[in-house]
Amino acid sequence: MSQRSTAMPSLGREAWREMERNSRRENWGRAWYKFSHNPLSVIGLATVLLIVLLAIFAPFVTPYPEHAGPFTDFANAKQPPSLAHLFGTDVVGRDVFTRTIFGFRFSLSMGLVVLSLVVPPGVLLGLVAGYYHGTWLDTVIMRITDIFLAVPPLILALAIASVLKPNLFNSMLAVSLMWWPWYTRLVYGLTTQMRNEYFTTSAEIMGASRWHILFREILPNCVSPIFTKMSLDMGWVILIGASLSFVGLGVQPPKPGLGTMVANGARYLPDLWWIALFPALAIVVIVLGFNLLGDGLRDLFAAEEI
Amino acid sequence: MRKLFPALLILALVLVLSACAQQPSPAQPAQEPAAGAAEQPAEPGAAPAGARVLRASFAWPTNIDPAMGSDFSSGTALANLYDTLVFPNPDGSVKPWLAESWESSDDGLTWTFQLRSGVKFHDGSDLTASDVVYSMERMQAVGEGFAYLFTDVVADVSAPDESTVVFTLSQPNGLFLPSLIRLYVLNEDLVRANTKAEGPYGENGDYGQEFLQTNDAGSGPYQVAEFPLEEYLLMERFGDWWGEFAPNAPDQFRMIAATEPATIRTLMSNQELDISDQWQPIESLEALQQIDGVEVAAFSNLTGFYFMLNNQLAPLDDLHCRRAVSYGFDYDTAVSLEWPGTTAMVGPVPKALGGHNPDVMVYPYDPERAREELAQCQYADAIQDYPIEFVWISEVPDEEKFALLFQANMADIGIPVEIVSMPWLSVVENTSKLETSPHLVSIYVSSDLPEAGPLLKQRYHSSTAATWSQNEWLLDPELDAAIDDSLATVDQEERFAKYRAIQADLAERAPSVFVYDQVEKHAYQSYLDWPAARGEIIPVMGYNIWAPAIGVNK
Repeated sequence: MSQRSTAMPSLGREAWREMERNSRRENWGRAWYKFSHNPLSVIGLATVLLIVLLAIFAPFVTPYPEHAGPFTDFANAKQPPSLAHLFGTDVVGRDVFTRTIFGFRFSLSMGLVVLSLVVPPGVLLGLVAGYYHGTWLDTVIMRITDIFLAVPPLILALAIASVLKPNLFNSMLAVSLMWWPWYTRLVYGLTTQMRNEYFTTSAEIMGASRWHILFREILPNCVSPIFTKMSLDMGWVILIGASLSFVGLGVQPPKPGLGTMVANGARYLPDLWWIALFPALAIVVIVLGFNLLGDGLRDLFAAEEI
Repeated sequence: MRKLFPALLILALVLVLSACAQQPSPAQPAQEPAAGAAEQPAEPGAAPAGARVLRASFAWPTNIDPAMGSDFSSGTALANLYDTLVFPNPDGSVKPWLAESWESSDDGLTWTFQLRSGVKFHDGSDLTASDVVYSMERMQAVGEGFAYLFTDVVADVSAPDESTVVFTLSQPNGLFLPSLIRLYVLNEDLVRANTKAEGPYGENGDYGQEFLQTNDAGSGPYQVAEFPLEEYLLMERFGDWWGEFAPNAPDQFRMIAATEPATIRTLMSNQELDISDQWQPIESLEALQQIDGVEVAAFSNLTGFYFMLNNQLAPLDDLHCRRAVSYGFDYDTAVSLEWPGTTAMVGPVPKALGGHNPDVMVYPYDPERAREELAQCQYADAIQDYPIEFVWISEVPDEEKFALLFQANMADIGIPVEIVSMPWLSVVENTSKLETSPHLVSIYVSSDLPEAGPLLKQRYHSSTAATWSQNEWLLDPELDAAIDDSLATVDQEERFAKYRAIQADLAERAPSVFVYDQVEKHAYQSYLDWPAARGEIIPVMGYNIWAPAIGVNK
């Protein structure tokens, strides 16, 4: 299971490096082959890449970047989709296309920030609890985790976000507070299993430090499931973020949050359908993209395990 | 297939998400119909077959305690549940109602009213003079809602006999008579029987507040049938009412808690709603007009649209910053977003009110002057550290447009603005304390009487600072004295002159942004015979959806 190799003493250092490079390239090649075998995974990857690029370069690719800030132009309000306004304009005359693309920014940063806040502590707690399986440390950590897992995630996030001042940062905080237990659970399960594997026990016998065992022996073997879960979670975090902003607890106006745009546009359905429809589709696309990508990664890692 | 499942799941979630925008239809509350009503339709409280029902939507909450309710829905409910001594005429004057006649002493301090005989309360008991006395005492003791009209005005009230009420005023008051349209007469015995011993009012306990929260104790044309607080208020016709119902007046009047445009649209097109609330966005009204048999009534109702600035909170505690904000807002665009007939406000009260001053200092849209004023403001250098929090009422979606317009206008002159949408309930709560009052809240305020004085008092007098009708927190004793003095002036010319002076003084302080005189809009079913839609407007809040005068010709 461990992918760490030991050098063959008969080979020279250079030759060994060369071989390692080749095999790595080969591994990547094989992985890409397997990944690309499923067109859905490739679509997911392409969607995610496209959205990330659009979000990064939003001020350059959108026709009216100023519409993402404090801006009103009532003379051009409520225009249906046209060449000038691909997704039409909203009730105060802002270009829905521009705002949707900028909306990706907040959605993506929501996902990225939440996951980078959540994964390190979640994983660390899982490692520790799993390694000290059966001790009081395990009990304390995992019961706290259970408490968090027992509350429905959206309800908990709503509760937290509504107590705090409504803004993007606090909604990130709210989602983070409810998301870490999933990683603790995941890593805990893997760790309890791995601490009895031969490579762990032999490292222990050779006198390796606990630090070494946790981070050098066990953690590398948890990486692929963690990555898979992260890419799947991106979608879900974005969706929860959109739900929060739908009820007014996320990005504050005039900044465009996809959820807020759907909520505001829904008032004008069905006549001004474009105001709500396009941001809603954008949420579908971004969540779907990350899910397809995550599924692809899961299949890939699952295949490698065997 | 495995990949399809999450995809479908997500799609379903997004659909659920957008469905959340549509609140559950309040017309179908989750309750079982009463036993023994098997042949009736499933709707609870549904009228027997052939009964006429009038259904109107309102921004909630509705408070039917006569000493507490004061907003639009409460005012409407109270007018339908209770009788008053006098009743408002379309021209703003009053006509005899429970009182058949009255006279005032030469010094204007003593008012004697002769009551109509044979008036029954909803429980069948007789309405007598002592009930009026009790109602006034309770109104003053509880002191909320419309009580400000009587606080410091009425010194004593007594009932020499069963049909005579005598009010003694602390000083002459030109508005005492019209104020009486806000004195809802309670059934003293009924309230006393339902008073809790424990409460803030000494021997009067809770003054029946808990009881009156969900019950009425009135003699009016309608009585409470069901009142699940958050959902609707169902009233049914009081058969023994002494007054006269219009032909085809409704047997039931249902006030529904709903303003969400999609909900209103569905209810209207299914003919499950007869009169819409007045808070529908313009787009929604235009769409409602397209439905067969639905029309829009628009009329002036003495309502001003204000951005109430918190005059105690930096940076708006500085006159120049307030003036900068006033000069910086684009009034013409704001007016153009409204229903035709809307006009920009001139000074602190709507133009149609008696005693309005057309010559006050005004703040036309002028970004250049706004910047000049801002430069003189003590916070000019650090203005970025003082973002203005703009609170708009979530039940009134159109207000967001004005918030965004304001934000864009202010960005233009360099003042940062944060927009917050807040439910009406929280606004009422937050504006009741200085510490929680926001920088700015956009609110429509209706005059309770057809002249300027009461509105000036309601908006800027210290006694109303802790209510939603004043976020300004002026707390200025001199202004208070001037307002009280004007209201105490019996001679109309003199009174109006004093109103004008107060408006001129207020306008210079720029305490609020005076946005526009509102035109009240309701979509309604054309099978209604509705006086307000015919142009017979009663210029007093709450009286235009007065069910006894509305015919349901369905």
